[in-house]
Order: sequence, then C-alpha cells, then structure tokens
Amino acid sequence: MTKTRLLKALLFCPLLFLATAVLAQTKSVSGKITDEKGEIIIGASVQVKGTTTGTVTDQNGVFKLNVPASATTLLVSFIGYTQQEVSIANTSEVKVVLQMENTTLTDVVVVGYGTARKKDLTGSVATLKAKDFNKGIANAPDQLIQGKVAGLMVVNTSGAPGAATTVRIRGVSSVRSGNQPLYVIDGVPLDGRVARPGISANGLGVTPDANPLNFVNAFDIASMDVLKDASATAIYGSRGSNGVIIITTKKGVEGPAKLDFNYSVGASTIMKKLKVLNAGEFRKVLDDYKFTSGDGGGDEDAMKAITRTGITQNFNLGISGGSENARYRASFGLMNQDGIVLKSGLKKYTGNLSGQFKFLESKKLGLDFNLMAAQTIEELAPVTNNAGYRGSLIGQALQWNPTVPLRNADGSLNQLSGNAAVNPLAMSEAWNDQANISYILGSISPYFKITDDLEYRFLFSINRQTGIRRTELKSYITLPEVEGLGQAYYGNSELTTKLFTHTLSYNKQISTAFNLGALVGYEYQDFVFKGVDLGALGFTTDALPYTSILQNALQTNTFISSYVNPQSELQSIFGRVTANLRDKYLLTATMRADGSNKFGKNNRYGYFPSFAAKWNISSEDFMKGGTFFQNLALRLGWGITGNQEFPAGAAQEQYMLAGAGGASQLNVANPDLKWEKSNQLNAGLDFTILDSRITGSVDYFHKKTTDLLFNYTAIVPGPASNLWINMPGDITNKGVEVALRGDIIRKKDLTWSLGVNATFISNELQNYTGPDVLTGAISGQGVSGATVQRFANGHPLNVFYVRKYEGLDKDGLAQYADNGNTMYYMGDPNPKQLLGFTTDLSYKKWYLAINFNGAFGQDIYNNTANTVLPVNNLSSRNIARSLIGNNENLANPITTSSRYLEKGDFVKLTNATISYSLGNIGKTFKNVNISLTGQNLFVITNYSGFDPEVNTDKSINGVNSFGIEYSPYPTARNIILGVSVSL
Amino acid sequence: MTFYKKISLLALAGLTLASCTKLDEKLGSTLERSQADSVIQVASLLKTAYDGLQLPYQDQSNLWALQEMPSDEAVAPTRGGDWDDNGQWRSLKTHTWTAEHPMIGSTFTNLLLLQYAATNVLNFRPSKQQAAEARFLRALSIFSVLDAFGQVPFREPGEDLRKAPKVLTATEAVAFVISELTAIMPDLPERSTSVRAYVATKDAARALLIKTHLNKGAFLNPAQPTFDAADMTQVITLADQIINSGRYSLANNYFDNLAYNNDAIGTENIFTQQNGPGFSTVRSGNAAFCHWAPTLHYHQTPGGWNGFATVSVFYDKFEATDTRRGGPYPSVTPVTGLNVGFLVGQQYDKNGTALKDRKGNLLAFTRELALQESGNDLEIKGIRVVKYPPDMVTDGGSNGNNASNDWVFFRLADVMLMKAEALLRTGNAAGALLIVNQLRLKRKASALAAITLDVLLDERGREMYWEGWRRQDLIRFNKYLQPWQLKPSDNPRNLLFPIPVSDLAVNPNLKQNPGY
Repeated sequence: MTKTRLLKALLFCPLLFLATAVLAQTKSVSGKITDEKGEIIIGASVQVKGTTTGTVTDQNGVFKLNVPASATTLLVSFIGYTQQEVSIANTSEVKVVLQMENTTLTDVVVVGYGTARKKDLTGSVATLKAKDFNKGIANAPDQLIQGKVAGLMVVNTSGAPGAATTVRIRGVSSVRSGNQPLYVIDGVPLDGRVARPGISANGLGVTPDANPLNFVNAFDIASMDVLKDASATAIYGSRGSNGVIIITTKKGVEGPAKLDFNYSVGASTIMKKLKVLNAGEFRKVLDDYKFTSGDGGGDEDAMKAITRTGITQNFNLGISGGSENARYRASFGLMNQDGIVLKSGLKKYTGNLSGQFKFLESKKLGLDFNLMAAQTIEELAPVTNNAGYRGSLIGQALQWNPTVPLRNADGSLNQLSGNAAVNPLAMSEAWNDQANISYILGSISPYFKITDDLEYRFLFSINRQTGIRRTELKSYITLPEVEGLGQAYYGNSELTTKLFTHTLSYNKQISTAFNLGALVGYEYQDFVFKGVDLGALGFTTDALPYTSILQNALQTNTFISSYVNPQSELQSIFGRVTANLRDKYLLTATMRADGSNKFGKNNRYGYFPSFAAKWNISSEDFMKGGTFFQNLALRLGWGITGNQEFPAGAAQEQYMLAGAGGASQLNVANPDLKWEKSNQLNAGLDFTILDSRITGSVDYFHKKTTDLLFNYTAIVPGPASNLWINMPGDITNKGVEVALRGDIIRKKDLTWSLGVNATFISNELQNYTGPDVLTGAISGQGVSGATVQRFANGHPLNVFYVRKYEGLDKDGLAQYADNGNTMYYMGDPNPKQLLGFTTDLSYKKWYLAINFNGAFGQDIYNNTANTVLPVNNLSSRNIARSLIGNNENLANPITTSSRYLEKGDFVKLTNATISYSLGNIGKTFKNVNISLTGQNLFVITNYSGFDPEVNTDKSINGVNSFGIEYSPYPTARNIILGVSVSL
Repeated sequence: MTFYKKISLLALAGLTLASCTKLDEKLGSTLERSQADSVIQVASLLKTAYDGLQLPYQDQSNLWALQEMPSDEAVAPTRGGDWDDNGQWRSLKTHTWTAEHPMIGSTFTNLLLLQYAATNVLNFRPSKQQAAEARFLRALSIFSVLDAFGQVPFREPGEDLRKAPKVLTATEAVAFVISELTAIMPDLPERSTSVRAYVATKDAARALLIKTHLNKGAFLNPAQPTFDAADMTQVITLADQIINSGRYSLANNYFDNLAYNNDAIGTENIFTQQNGPGFSTVRSGNAAFCHWAPTLHYHQTPGGWNGFATVSVFYDKFEATDTRRGGPYPSVTPVTGLNVGFLVGQQYDKNGTALKDRKGNLLAFTRELALQESGNDLEIKGIRVVKYPPDMVTDGGSNGNNASNDWVFFRLADVMLMKAEALLRTGNAAGALLIVNQLRLKRKASALAAITLDVLLDERGREMYWEGWRRQDLIRFNKYLQPWQLKPSDNPRNLLFPIPVSDLAVNPNLKQNPGY
C-alpha cells in the first residue's frame, strides 16, 4: 500500500504546478492553402508556432487568424502532406503550397504507450495505414494485413465467417496455445479470448473458435502497427514475446462536420473444390472393383447441395468533425455475411464514438474517450475440428455416395438407416447453432500538459463481452447418440477486463543537437472469465426449438455446469528513455516490471529490459552531397520479453467440485511457475535510394525462448490434473525479413509501384531432454488415438512423425518402411519462406491494386484424404478422385503415414481491387468512389485440399498442432462491389 | 488551482484507488487446499475414487483389452480400413507390442490415477470405513498394475507431486496388498440388503485377497509360478467365508449377473461398479455398452462397431447344452432379434428377417477369421461375443454410457473356481471336481469325470470369458507363451507389459521390464 501511495503522489505532484497563459496584443493574418496541383485544401490546420492559437481552412481553402503581434511563424499542416513553416514576420497575407509526403519517414508510428517518427524508430515496426489494408470482406482486423508485413503470418483456421485465425509474428515460440500476438486497441491491451461458449456436441466434436477481434469494424481503423522485435515489444513485458499489433482507430479531424458513407455488396463462392468422384465416375469405379451394390441410381453433388453463393452486405457510416479543441467521430457499421455453407454466416453491428477535447484557457488539460460497442451473431454450420468417422457436415458431404439422392422423390430427406453415412442435407437441417456476443470496449483518457515538455496521462478502460450460444441437433438425424433423442446446448460466457494506466512523458529538445524523451508508467489490468453451460438429451417433440424447452428433456439426461476462472491481475511499472543526437545517433532503452498473480508465489515479478540503437548513416557529413542514398540507417536491438499465456490458477493447488457430489484435485501447485522468456536480437538496415524511388529494409532476427510453459499431467500416481512447469529446453526462431517498395512510374497522371515482402525463417527445439510431446490428433475411422506431430529435441516445432509410405504393392496394399513399425521425422509444417507481393497502379481516376501472397517449404497433413475419402469407403461412400486407377486394395487398412503428407507451397491472388474515383458530384457529394474487389481469386498449389492455407485445430491438451487439414469449412472466393461517398 | 482542476484531480484519484493490489490470486469456482480441507466432503472424494474405476477397468481399450486381446479367447481383427487403429489391436493379439503402445500407456496411467484418487481420500480425515474403502480401491489398483507391469509406482498421502514417486517391487507390492486388505477388513462393511455390491465390502476385500494369494507365485515369477501351501490355505479359507455366507448363490440364468438390472438379479455379484444414467455418464471412459458395441455389426440392433470376435478353437470348448454359450435373453431378444453369448451364423432382426451387411452379404458370422481381413466378406468374419446383455430398457442405454449393467469385478463362480484351483494345487482333486461339477450342472453342462489343471483352465475360460481375467489365468497356469490360433510364436518378455516410454522419461525410479 505504502508503495502504491507513494507512486500516486509522484504521479500527481507535477499537476500542481500550473502555468498560466499570458495575454498580449494581436494582429490579423489570412491566406490560402493549396496542394502541388493547385487544388485547394479544406480543413488544413494553421497554427502559430509555439502557441496553441490556430484555425483551419474553410470551404475555399482560406483561413483568417488573429495572432499575437510578436508571432513570426505559422505551422501549416494537413494529413498526407509535409508540415510547413511559413514566416509572417513581414506580411499579413500568405499563399501556401503544401507538398505531398513522398516518403514515409516522417510518418508517425504508434509504439507502446506513445508515438515516434518512423525516422526515429530503433525497433522493427511495420505500419499499415487504412489505404494499404486488404480490401473486401474483413471480419476482423488481422485479415486487413494478411500478407502485407514481413515476418507476419496469418492463417485461417476455418473458412467460416468470423472464424479465428492463427497469427504468428516471427515464428512459433511456444509449445502451447499462447502464440498469438498481443493486440492493443488505442492503448488498451486486449485479453485475447472471446466470450463465445464452446460446445462439444455428442458424436460431432468441437466447432472452430471465433476470432476475438470480430467486434472491431475495419471501417473504424486508421492504422495498424506490427511491433516485431524485442526493443519494440519489451515495453509490454510479459506479454510481448509473440509480438504486438497496435490498432489505432480513426479520430475526428478538425473542420466542418463530415459524413463518410460506404456500402458494399459481395458474392462468395467456394474458392477451390476438393476432387471427389461424380456419379458416373463412381459407377465406373464400382464396376472396376466388381461391386454389385452401391449404385443408388441417382446423380448427386452433395458438396453443391450444402454450399451456396453467399451474399455479403456491408454498410458503414461515419460522422466526424469538430474544432481544434473538441473533435469527435461517430460511426455505425452493419455487416451481414452469408457463409458459403448453408446456415452459416455472421451478422455484425458496430458502433464507435470517440472524442478528443482540450480544456482550460491554456488548453493544457485534455480528455480523449473512445467507446466501441458491437454485437455479433454467428450462425455456425456443423463443421467441427475432430468429428469421428461419421464426420461433420463437410466430411459427410464429401463422402456422400454421389449415386444416392439426398432427397426422396417426395422431397423428404433420404436418410440411410443404421450406421451408414449421414445425409449432409439432413445434418444441415437438423442443426441450429447460433452464438450471439455483445461487446463493449470503453476508454477514457484525461491528460494534462504540466509543462511544454511534460505530460501526464491517465487511461481507464473496461472491456466487457457477454456471449450466449444456443445449439440443437434434432432427433431425426441418424447419429447414433442423438437419433430418436435430439440434443441441445445453451451456453453463456462473460469476459471482463479493466485497465488503469498512468503515464508521465517527457520530451525536451535539450540543445539543437540533442533531444531527450522519457516515459514512466504504472499499469494495472484485471481479467475475469466465467460461464454457464447447460445441455440436454432426449426431447419429446421437434416442433419447437429445443433450447426453448430444455425442461422437456429427460432429467437424467440433462447436465448443468458453471465456472468462474480465477481472477488474474497484472500490475506493472514501465519506462522508456530515448535519446537523439543530431538525428544521427538514436538510443532507446525500455524496462518493464510485470507482476502477475498468475505467476507462482516465488516469481511474482518479472523484469523485461531492452536496448536499441540506430545510426542514421545518411545524416553523416561524409554522406552529404551523395545522391544515391536519400536515407540509410542501421538498427541494432536486444531485449527480453515474456509470454504468460497460461491459465489463471495454474500455480496453485486447486480442487474442483464435480457432478453428482464428486470432488477432485484439478491442479498441482508450482510456486516457482513463471512466464516464458524470449531473448531476441534484431539487426536491421533501412534505406531509401534512387531519388526516393526505392525504400526498403532488411532485418535479421534471432529469438531464443526458454522456460517454456508446459502442462504435464502430474507424474502418476497423481491426480488427473495439470502440473504447470517451465519446461527445460529452448526454442530458437531465426530469420531474415526483407521489405521493399519501389515507385516505377511517378508521373502526374500515372503512378505504378511495386512492393515485396519476404521472410526466411527457421525454427528448432533444442536442449530438451523430456519425453517427446505428442500433438496433431488425427480423426476418423480406424485411427483412434493416432497422432502425427511432436515436439522433439533437434527438430522444428510440430515436426511430423509418421510411418514412411513406400507405395502400393502388387496386391494394392500399402507398404511402409519397417512394415510400419517405425515412425520417421518426415516433414515440417512451418513455412520456410513467406512472400507478399503488392502492386498499385493509378491512372488518372483509375486505381488498381493487386496483392499476392505465398508460403513455401511447409508440409500439410491431409487428414481429409486419410480418413474421410479412403478407398475403403467403397461401395457405400465416396472416395478421392486421385484414387481412380491406382488399383488400391479395398482392404488396405486406414493408417497414418507419409502418404498423406503433401507439399503446401502456394501462391494466392488474395486481393485485387479496381476502383474509379468520380471525385465530387455537384456540391453535395464528395470523394465518390466505386470499386470492384476480388478476394482469393485463385491459388496456385499442388496441395489437393480446399486451401493450402489451412490449420484445423488438432491440438492435444492445449499443445498446438499446426498444418493439418480435416474436412474444414472451405475458403470462399469473394467478389465485392463497393461505393463510398462523403458529404 | 481552479475548482475545475481540483475536480479533475479528485476524479483521477478516485479512479486510481482500484489500482492497488498485492497480487493475491483469488480462485473462482475452484477451491484452494486450505478451503478444500473444510469444504470438500470426504464422501465426494471417495466417490471420485470409485468413479476412477470406470476408465481403467470398463473401457474397451484399457486393462480389459490388455487382459483379453493377448489371450486365446478374444481378437480384434482389422477389417479393411476398420479397426486398423495403427496396428494396436493386432500387436496385442500377436504379442508384438512396444513400449509406445497407446493402450498400454493409458492403462498404466489410468490405474495409477485411481491409486491417487484413493490415496487422496486419506489426506482429508476420512472416517474409518471411508479410509478402509479408499484403501481397498488403492489395493485393487496396485494389484492390477502389479499384474500387468510387475512393478508399481507408489505415493504416500500428501507427497510433493512435483517429485517422482518411489516404485514398489513385485515382492513389496504383494506384501503391501495383503497387509492392507488384512488391515482394513474390520473397518469394511459386511454385504447386506442395504450395502450393495458396488460398495467395497469385507467380501470384496476377501475376493481380492484370494486373487492375490492365488497369483502371488505368478506375480513374483511369472515365467515359472509356484504356489505356497500357505497361500492356497488362505484361498480356501477366504473362499469358504464367501461361499458359505449365504449372501450369494449361483444364478439361474448365467447372464442375469451381467444384465441391465444385475444389481437386483445378479445373485453372484460380490463387487461391481454401479452404472447407469447419472453414474457412468459423468465419468471418464466407456462403460458397459462398450462390451457389446465393439462386437456387434452396424446393422444389428443395437448397432455396433463390428470389431471384436473370438476364435473357433475357443468356441469349440463349449458343449452345445452349456447355457454359457448363449442364446435368447428375455430383455434383449424379443425386442432386437439379438441373442447373447456367442453369435455364429445368420443374424436376424426382431421380426425374424435375415440381416445383411453393408456390402449386401447376408450377415452370417463365420467360424474362422484372419487377423487382417480384406475380402468382400470382411464384415461378417468371426464369431461375436455378447457377454453383457445390451440394456434395451434404459433410455440411451443400448448405445451409450446410460447402460445400467453394473460392471462386475468379482462374482461367486470365480471364487468357487479359485477355491477349486487351490484344492487341486494342494492335491485335493476330488474336492476341486466337486465344486467344478456343481458349477457345470448349474450351467447345464455335463459333469466331468476327472479334473486336471488344464481342464480347470478351460473351465475358467468357459465361465469367466471376456470378463477381463484371461491373461492372468493363462500366466498363472503357465500357458501364456504357448502358440495358439492367430498367435504363432511368443517371447518371454511378454509376460509383463513394458513400462510406457513417457512414464520412464518422467520417473527415473521406474526400470524398463526385461526384453523391451
């Protein structure tokens, strides 16, 4: 307590010293502001240098301002243009021509707890502004930057609207699930979880996760900053290991009220079909195998029957404006996305209200606030990660016998009796699953400029999510545990996090040559997650939704459970010092002390330092006069970051109360438990050459992660519970990232630029002596308990460990090395190279942007081919088309082997947009723009599944799997027509 | 300072109050150890320990699989793509398993989880009877680990769970089980109308003591078991206490002991695990239904997984009149067309219509089968075994864990045969023959003229088939390494299962069994 009070006193004392404004004589200045082409600029900011006196230009680009008689210089600025100083010492009327910023060096980059000029950055940070984002349908912000940043990999875990993505910054450094980066929205670090109740339906498995960022509307995002190296992320301490993605929302711009509106409508279809037999081929194969049964006489495409052209509509409205001291922005968004699979989709309603206010005569007191509210309604198709041999919807459709009609002549569903295949259309009809999540993220941040150099800021934020999920599977479905009974689930989850941050920042130009910046802060955040789950089996009627009549089920077949996770708290002190000598030598040092109640009693506080230096070589005298380099800088950084993504309560001995009066130990105490630690070194080179036509950077990184968080089951005899430890061993991720951007044509009416980002990365588990950790659970018939991946010393994480397939013998039976008794390390799911390629072409009012991305060197395990479409399915179920003519024996046992490991290399045209700018129409409509966007237009790959960008969650007990496909929700190709207009 | 500023400061100060913390972690819906001591009812911990029996003992791919599949009476053949399961089932049959075999690993783990759950009861000040019941469950778990693995990791109550536990040798484990069961005997309840078979009673402890004394020689030297007279005397004395108690009698219908209502009509049952909605459904692992589902064909009622079977040599050990070979059963056959016991030949539905398999063949189970079936008839190969009559009465009972058939550990006929064995091993063949014939006549089999160890082993097979004891019996009778149908050769290492590699890696006190 004493310590905290002292801290508060320290934080508040400076507030007591307040400067007072001085009144003086004034004079009037006026002027007109235009761009290089002579077009007027409306809303440009004009300010007297060294004061807060200022105004903005009006509808005609003209301003008029009363300034102190002593004023000599005006600062004129507008977004996207270089700020200009204009002398008014001897004049009262000025003409200002603002230059477009042709370099990004002066861009402001958001770093942890502050901002920096790109030029001053010592760490590895990639910034994307709204104009650089991927166009088209984006359920969540991570999709906006997919393929755009070197070192960043975003992989979809499912093609369903609103499904989670796997995001990796500089590789995988954790054995367990905690590999996602930390997301920070306008200074508020998010929890990373989403309040969508999970269900695991009888006989069906677990549906893929929802994206925790679904509540953010892409329309509201101004920029995203990807913090990659430790010098950038160490300020986030025990949560910085996996990188940090900072999302900055749009704010009101000073000027008259402005209304932005956009609308888009899109159509989605399946991007790539998986090749199974059609009815004709199926009959032929039946003949070839001399089957007398199996031909149902029809012609059916079950995948077609359960998919559709999904229509997506997106409507956004933003209102912004304000005066210099009171700016606001409000926005509303509505998205209605139909999934390409029947009865799946996402409806999203968002509202965002933000304001920036300055008070007092001196304008030293300010207040920023931001309120984001959203509601998502997800309709989920019965597609699961781990369905058994009857499959979930996609598996059922793929293996449906194409000669058997899905519907009888009378239109009723053709359901097969017994343990035969499940009719996918019946599955779709019998299943109703809706998750409804409400989100509020509110923050308020008052600040006070104590002196010109010193500012105190406070941030309070609350993030609350409540999710309700209703699921039913009607009794007529022919799944043995459900047929004749029907089952229902009702789940409710709540997630609440609160944040308090105090920061004191100091920035002083000590001399003309030396600038010093400093930041100290204190932060407290807490997290609470709780929920209730209800379920029932055995309803007497299908007439009503089961979730409306849970009491109708047999009392012995109902279950109720609820949980409240331990409250976790994080209390931190952090600081940063930056020094800039002559813009040539820059130093940054950061330090964070994180105290977390999740850590064991003996390790409550962790310390995370970083140091980085930058040498702006092009500012050196010996470079002056040279014309080749417009910029050349060398960066070097080192730091320690942490990962504390283990469940709250993991360090404590915990007992749980189970059903029907049982009780058991849930967790074994480990008072030494601490965060996972990453030691990262980064060396980078930034350059701008050829008359600023080419800018680029190259970074080398080496990240070594130790004290790996892991949960063993306690050594038996022990409880069936977790023992969380810091596992001996370490994971090294190292690689090189290259980002290049070149302007090939830079004419007034025609510009063409190219951008490339490439990542070369490798990853290995070293110095590990424990038992191999198994993961990558394979689902389906005949492979109970099989796993294909492990964490083993000297191998990349998630290395495949399988039987070596040596082809079919003369009898059509599979041959394996050592008769299949030995397993081999045979493939690596981690890409060795990632590539992003963008090109922008603008000609007069036309604009074209194309975006490819690719990944190379990774292997994918095709669990779909392995167990959903094997030859053994004949004669009652369909098989993969690739099996035609290979003379495989029908009795060839299903087993896991390298036969189903496929090269995952791909290049995908992820995004292409063509737009036409109509400009202003009359006096009312401004910036009218029409665009046509295609997403996932094609993919070039040898991979036989739906999409080589795939990662079905096949984790075991929280140990990640990676690069396995199991009859996933297919990826959609979207064509979107959009229009945007401002008033 | 203006009023405005003061207000702002006060507001800030107010908001910051919450930001003072000592970082003590408060649990939500779970209990800390200190709370657990006062809140947790010992009864609920004891229930957890009892619940811990289901996964290792009842589930079809745990100890049951390790006792039956490597024996001469059960096989899970690979049928095309079905039941390959990466060769797990075949390697059990052919005695070619490795230390990475998943079922061996899970059996080891699950039995030791049970040991811990029972030990944990002792940590929470149980009553005398509660402690005795928990110690019985612990002894049962130790007995089974000893049987399968020849050594037993062991923890005292309250040990630091981060440290590797010590390991009892076979000699230590046998001594421990015997001394424990003897010590708790006075505190266990006697079986009565109010104390049901699913409670650890004095008779349950007696039955386990009998098994321990009888198998002691095999546990200490599985390659060449010996039988001390003192142990055999103990077997006879304890068996008589059960047989002569009047609490048990041979059932009129052999399958009543295993039926859905066996708690009421199973007159032989000494120790069981209670199953049914609300019991077996909330525990881990499959319960009784997994003893008919794996063997029944998809098109039978109840539909199954078309796997497990037996071999013709074993089937042929039965006389046609022997009721244990099976036939119609009252609560099953009229509503399903399904018989219980051994299923050979054409199968019918309840209307008497001949069933077909998924390929259109008549569903007529063949006498012979191969370990790896690949023909068009692969679905119909092999004689099926329905030891537990499917529960067609309880809702969701026939195809899920709602089935109410209580799982039977010990029953009277087993005790009688063990007494007969002890008599035979101590030279009293006449006494043994009397008991065996008493049992056979009840089962409608003809009386034997003479008895030998081989004959007695066969009789144990006929009586106890698919109840999870066959491997132990074969080892005790020194027959386990002999070649038999579908197992051409063997290796002495197979008398014990290997210690799973993952357990060796975390517990340095374990030593891998010889030959692995």
